[in-house]
Amino acid sequence: MIRRIFFSLLVISILLFPGCLASNQSLEVEDNESTIELVVWHSFAAESKEQATFESKIDQFMASNPSVEVKISAIPYTEADNQFMVAAQGGEAPDVVRLSNDQLGKIGHVRVGGQPLLEDLRAHLTPIERSKFDPRALNAMRYEGDLLGIPASQDCLSLLFNPVLFDAAGVDYPDENWTLDDMLLAASTLTSGDVSGLALPVKDPYWWFGFQAGFGGSLFDQNGTPSLNSNGSSDSMDWILDLELEHEIVQTGTNKESMKNQFLSSKVAMIIDGPWNWATYEAGRIPLKQSVLPIVTDSGERISPLVTFKGWSVSKQSLNKEWSTKLALYLSSSDVQKEFAIETYTMPTTIDLYDNPDISENIVLSGFLEQLMEGTPAPTTRGMSLVYAPVGTAFENVYTGALNSSEALLLANESLQSELEGN
Amino acid sequence: MNRVFLIAIFSFLLLLPISHASEVTSLESDGDVGYRQVGLMWSTDIPSEEGTIFEVWISNETIIEISNATKHSLVRVGNVSNLLQPGIGEWYDDCQYSIGDENWNPVYRELDGTAVIPPGAIGVNCTLSGISSGLEIHIAVLSINPSGGSILSSSISSSSTSSDEEIIVIETSPYIFAIGSIALSIFILLFVLRWMDYREGRTTSRFAHLYIAPAILALSVLTFYPVLYGIWLSFTNADQSHLGDQSIIGFDNFITVISTSGFLRVTGFTLVWSVVNVVAHIGFGLLLAIALNSNDLRGRSAYRTALLLPWAIPSYISVLVWRGLYEPTGALNDFLGTDLNLLADPNGAKIVVILVNIWLGIPFMMMSISGALQALPKDMYEAAEVDGISNFSRFRYLTLPNLKSALVPLSLLGFIWTFNMFNVIYLMTDGGPNLDFDGPGSTDILITYVYDVAFRDGAYGVAAAWSVVIFLMLVVFSWTYMKKTNATEAVT
Repeated sequence: MIRRIFFSLLVISILLFPGCLASNQSLEVEDNESTIELVVWHSFAAESKEQATFESKIDQFMASNPSVEVKISAIPYTEADNQFMVAAQGGEAPDVVRLSNDQLGKIGHVRVGGQPLLEDLRAHLTPIERSKFDPRALNAMRYEGDLLGIPASQDCLSLLFNPVLFDAAGVDYPDENWTLDDMLLAASTLTSGDVSGLALPVKDPYWWFGFQAGFGGSLFDQNGTPSLNSNGSSDSMDWILDLELEHEIVQTGTNKESMKNQFLSSKVAMIIDGPWNWATYEAGRIPLKQSVLPIVTDSGERISPLVTFKGWSVSKQSLNKEWSTKLALYLSSSDVQKEFAIETYTMPTTIDLYDNPDISENIVLSGFLEQLMEGTPAPTTRGMSLVYAPVGTAFENVYTGALNSSEALLLANESLQSELEGN
Repeated sequence: MNRVFLIAIFSFLLLLPISHASEVTSLESDGDVGYRQVGLMWSTDIPSEEGTIFEVWISNETIIEISNATKHSLVRVGNVSNLLQPGIGEWYDDCQYSIGDENWNPVYRELDGTAVIPPGAIGVNCTLSGISSGLEIHIAVLSINPSGGSILSSSISSSSTSSDEEIIVIETSPYIFAIGSIALSIFILLFVLRWMDYREGRTTSRFAHLYIAPAILALSVLTFYPVLYGIWLSFTNADQSHLGDQSIIGFDNFITVISTSGFLRVTGFTLVWSVVNVVAHIGFGLLLAIALNSNDLRGRSAYRTALLLPWAIPSYISVLVWRGLYEPTGALNDFLGTDLNLLADPNGAKIVVILVNIWLGIPFMMMSISGALQALPKDMYEAAEVDGISNFSRFRYLTLPNLKSALVPLSLLGFIWTFNMFNVIYLMTDGGPNLDFDGPGSTDILITYVYDVAFRDGAYGVAAAWSVVIFLMLVVFSWTYMKKTNATEAVT
């Protein structure tokens, strides 16, 4: 009898134990009510100058707003959209997240329980606050009318070169009149021993987009319908793959990381890369110069790299949308953008900084700004977020010789079209 | 008298520009137009003149002068030809004007977004955005006439009374489903156990089931519920745009799975991947275990430690190292003096991923078989030696049959683990190179492709159907394998 009573008490106490824990937790929440906690996901590279600048700005924000505690987490840039969507669908979305405009199209389309995942920030910003941003950048953060982010930076690819290797080979530096033929000739001359003339990830769709535009191709027509299967597209695909397969001036299998490593070890004279790596190259004490991308000889058009805008978005699930928007506005403010630009060569999106002497007189920043003006803004559509996969598959097929570029791009176009139609 | 008249005329002429400036005479606000928004409508005493600018100022206190306020927005009166006129809801905020005929038209927009209304407008109705929710604010409109003179309207107070439109809907169906499936599985388990007790004649210990209740609960929550949830999901149209409001669609997802381009290819490669790996793991593991078990071997511990290293290093690190070795600029090409890009070649990549997984899996099999070898009775081998049985015959007729009880479950487990081995392929090739526009990559196996379907395509229902298909494949295989090998009898 005593054993039975003892056992029953034990079972009851086990059953009540979680309840006791829950009670403590709720008390804890009540104690912390005066502090607003914001969770921010950023996608700056680990140990980078961008991350350090970002963290110092977050510290400053918290110092100015003692009632706000910001918790930051890093996510990989290329996986930011997927990770945010998965978290949001599980009800675990951060308050603020850094996203690129070509990722917004994918997220903007998604609904959970009929609700979008990102807050439409149009109601949160005053017209005067909006007017500080380049209209092109602000418009890029809109998806089907909704303003899904506040633009904090913009970037695109450009031509970076090692002047010491050029001098050693007696080759003139690239300039704004360079054509693709000039670049090819220079790269061939510079390719010698273990030094390559040029490095770029030839199968990466992002790198190809600029060449495609220069050759007269386009990703989408004016109605937003995929238009990958054009002569310009296939010519540009053949041209870029031939850099490795035929001309052998790009090392076999060069990818983003190996391109960076080759340049850091002075094993390549020219690379096509963005401003985000400039600080790393500078820290590696690599002699470094920049020039706008060349002109396509046949079409007379300049290579027009894809311009993407990165900004801060607020989750629809955030319980502190006003504070989240304040933080997003702060991180996109002129002061913060200026510091990012000077420290990390991040291109700003606020109008006043375009003419700011600290920016316009900086040879690197002004060079990249010039390149940006030659770029093609990435459309903020679902199609843009889906285009990478079929184009990547088309590249694999042409690279392995399974299909020619026209066939591959036709299939890529059909695949993208089919996916957009929901088949 | 003339002088008085002249002064009056002169004063009139001086005041003429001021009296011609549009002055805001009526100001109304509506706090219930949306979250963080208030509506503001003003009208002027006379039609607005070209060049006039209306600035909206807001403050936490009554606005007497603009120095204590913040500029919110502005509306310019000017030529509207060639300007955009976005419809209501198309621009960042809505603003309309009226020329007195009770029709409200959307304002025009300059390229920088400034609102422009045509000359002659006498009323403006704007939605002011960026207003803190629930806080009282004061609003005033400053009219600046073309000559630079300005008149500040009296300020009115307002507040945005609409709360956050986001309604956090607590979706109850998953919880009901979760509780239901857990309760159901507990009930079924208890019923089966009770029936087994009854069959075995165990009727004395009434509390036995209570003792094992925590284990049953854990099993229900951690095993049965996820499986049941996955099966339920496979019959729904759950995807990125339907999560939370998905509906049952029957067997559509299974039809999608079977009709996927590359279904047979990925299933075939998964089988090749699993069989080759398991055979190699068992084969090399057995060989090494026998070698390590040899009495003549010196430095056995050192060998054993060295052979355990692949298992001791976290697999994602060793896989990334292997990937680096196979890169075009990696050590393999340096060593061979070649320019191979194996990971970009569909067949090369398949061979590479299999080789890496073989390397990773051998230590576990080696250790398991080694343990089983040591448990074999030594007198059996001594008798064979006395009888003059050759080494191969000893292995063939003594070691192998006696190891069966260990090898059968090991190979079964190895098959299931390898079938669902995600890391190696994900980290080595991410399923690529991908030559199929709508299907799996060249090195995708079923489990890596399911990941793509779920988390890249966002097709959760289809991914769940793929998982159910994998589950069924493994159940059928395991059942058949156990039946054919009498595995359970061998173990017991």
